Amino acid sequence: MKQIINKWDILLVAVLLVLSLIPEGIFYMTGNDAAVHDTYAVIQVDGKIYKEVPLSGHQGTETIPIKTDHGYNLVIVKDDTIGIVEADCPDKICISEGFISRPGATVVCLPHKILIEVKSAGGGEPDVIPAH
Amino acid sequence: MKKTFRIIMLSLFIAQSLVLYIVEGMLPVPFIAPGAKLGLANLITVIAMYSLPRKRDACLILFVRVLLAAAFGGGINAFFYSVAGAVLSLGIMLLLKGVGKFSILGVSMAGGIFHNLGQVLVASLVVANLKIMLYLPILAIAGAGTGLLIGITSVFTLRHLKKLPIYKRMQE
Repeated sequence: MKQIINKWDILLVAVLLVLSLIPEGIFYMTGNDAAVHDTYAVIQVDGKIYKEVPLSGHQGTETIPIKTDHGYNLVIVKDDTIGIVEADCPDKICISEGFISRPGATVVCLPHKILIEVKSAGGGEPDVIPAH
Repeated sequence: MKKTFRIIMLSLFIAQSLVLYIVEGMLPVPFIAPGAKLGLANLITVIAMYSLPRKRDACLILFVRVLLAAAFGGGINAFFYSVAGAVLSLGIMLLLKGVGKFSILGVSMAGGIFHNLGQVLVASLVVANLKIMLYLPILAIAGAGTGLLIGITSVFTLRHLKKLPIYKRMQE
């Protein structure tokens, strides 16, 4: 059988495969490879972003009092979870929702128009990547 | 090639690649990484590239195939992935073929790798997350593998195609 592959082909494919490692290298160098699962909480008041709190890697307890025209809420960041522990709203539903940590989870205080949402860094992690 | 003959040859190539595209959709393929697939339709692109003398014929075949494939079963989402893969892979294949040092296998493997590069690029854009690029090494290996198979098949197909009287007419 005639030779159908030559040394240039092998060289070419080897070079391309090595080049395909470039993104891997860049992410490794910049050191945010572990950041795939980074989560942070976005606190919104009245639809506007009030504060962003990094969650993953967070240690200890941090209190964030939110006082608005609508009322008072006490948000607590405990390790990598976030929740509302105090509120002067009538129903206290936000408190009963407990502490959240997973991307996509939310705690809402409707009377005070407060929304806390956990997001993952890099614009969310899709479960399915449509590709064809 | 006469005008009518050219139209018929191009339609035949397009029809064949469409059939391969649809058949491929029916085959169960093990999930390696998002975007990894056999790329059977690429076989026709490679054969067209090496059997039709003009570059723009191969481009036309690929473009119409991508368009019709989206109409027949892919949808608009698949269309963008396909276009990116098609443009990149055909681009690199024509370039490497022009260099002249590489055989069909090398050209087709590079095409497979660049097709998957296109997939990864579009996927990164769609989900706005550059970390999808971390799939590139796996997809590059997969692309080289499928490209190798496509290349071998093309070599054998072209060997037989060249014996047919119709091949001489295609070169005119």
